[in-house]
Amino acid sequence: MPNNNAHAASFRDPSGFLFSRGGILHRQVNRAGADDYARFMESGLYEKLVKANLLIPHAEVDEKPADESLAFKVIRPERVAFISYPYEWSFSELKDAALATLSIQRRALKAGMSLKDASAYNIQFVNGKPTLIDTLSFEIYKEGKPWDAYRQFCQHFLAPLALMSLVDIRLGQLLRVYIDGVPLDLASKLLPFSTRFNFGLLTHIHIHASAQVRYADSASQRVSESTSGRGMSKNGFIGLIDSLETTVKKLTWKPAGTEWGNYYEITNYSDAGFAHKKEIISGWLTKLAPKSIWDLGANNGEFSRLASGAGVSALAWDIDPSAVEQNYLRLKSEKEQNLLPLLLDLTNPSPALGWDNAERDSLAQRGPADAVFALALIHHLAISNNVPLPRLADFFAGLSRWLIIEWVPKSDSQVQKLLRTRKDIFETYTREGFESAFGTRFHIRESVDVRESERRMYLLEKRD
Amino acid sequence: MHFTPLAYLDPGSGSILIQLIVAAVLAIGVALRASWGSIMKLFGKGKTDEQNDDDAE
Repeated sequence: MPNNNAHAASFRDPSGFLFSRGGILHRQVNRAGADDYARFMESGLYEKLVKANLLIPHAEVDEKPADESLAFKVIRPERVAFISYPYEWSFSELKDAALATLSIQRRALKAGMSLKDASAYNIQFVNGKPTLIDTLSFEIYKEGKPWDAYRQFCQHFLAPLALMSLVDIRLGQLLRVYIDGVPLDLASKLLPFSTRFNFGLLTHIHIHASAQVRYADSASQRVSESTSGRGMSKNGFIGLIDSLETTVKKLTWKPAGTEWGNYYEITNYSDAGFAHKKEIISGWLTKLAPKSIWDLGANNGEFSRLASGAGVSALAWDIDPSAVEQNYLRLKSEKEQNLLPLLLDLTNPSPALGWDNAERDSLAQRGPADAVFALALIHHLAISNNVPLPRLADFFAGLSRWLIIEWVPKSDSQVQKLLRTRKDIFETYTREGFESAFGTRFHIRESVDVRESERRMYLLEKRD
Repeated sequence: MHFTPLAYLDPGSGSILIQLIVAAVLAIGVALRASWGSIMKLFGKGKTDEQNDDDAE
């Protein structure tokens, strides 16, 4: 579907596709998906899912289709503030997305429909809740038909969750390598032997993986016909969903041994200094009135909440899976809005991925944010990762017009800690060096020393 | 049995086979639970469908 502004990630499903016109996102429903879509709307399932915050609402609009030869209808889905990807989610974010998918499938079955895909990329966090964004994921359920999306569910959700929970949290990053989810034979190989005594993991991962290898060359039609002849009963289908749900629910992960876990207790900020830093940021937020901010190196979101609490859509990025997890659990328990904690290694940010490197956007492609926070961050990038200050300035200038950045001098105990075991090759890492490097890309609009501290806060605006 | 139309994603032969087997086993439990539910409902102790919907969240 070239030349019609079709979204680069929207090409697999013949029942429709996303396109944008005049900066507004639309979804064309093709005639191939007309029956399924019509039944979905008439069955009441759409309303139920929207009411339960499990599906993004849309309006049918009188808009010219992007490809008239295929078109049935055009709908306009409500815009999602930010598209995040499963490899940027914490353990519980991925787990909640998995449970939302199963919950949707359960409701769909009750309404005589079924999910024909179970892609983690179809779930987005809207007001802190996992929400399905693909309106065309539903098909009319036919008794006897197995779940076509079963394999995808296991690869996108169950396998990475099991690996994160039972082997190592960092294995969630496999999702960045495998765009269609973690191959089950790989998951089976990596999981400890004891998981063979867990009914769910034994069947949905280990035996599932062996069956995939063994029957790789048989046509799926033949396989299903040769088994019972009647296919999968509805009770069987519900049993399968129940089993997946129980298996997912039992997988847990406790954020322990965290890099930043008690960060705010080990900073060299006094209470007065900490309060002053917050006051400075809040003052600048009021002045700038941004619609969106990205807090880079957000830890557990203490400062992101200054924005989200004031109604600004805030992304709290951090490299530490524990910090992101704690942040998400807190927002969930306090039912906070406007905040989304996400995992990111700034020294190697999310790249553009997938077919033609265009299915998943890089970090910068999903910007710019109205403002970026870089609080207690610069020394990690400039010293731990050796990034020269001018390059840091270039990087931030590519992300946002406004930058709220904290200068952490060499004499700061946190910087001294980083330098303890290595040669100090950072002659230009001085306040003057910082101001001159950032001055080439930004105007320094304001700067304030943080009370009872050696640190200084800057409000920078990008030069045109 | 006819599964028409075919899925736009390849469901995978092994994936179909294993879920048919697992589902066949689990169907028994679901059927038992359903009949137990209707027995309990007779005595006014069962959950309504709406409550089950909420559970699913």
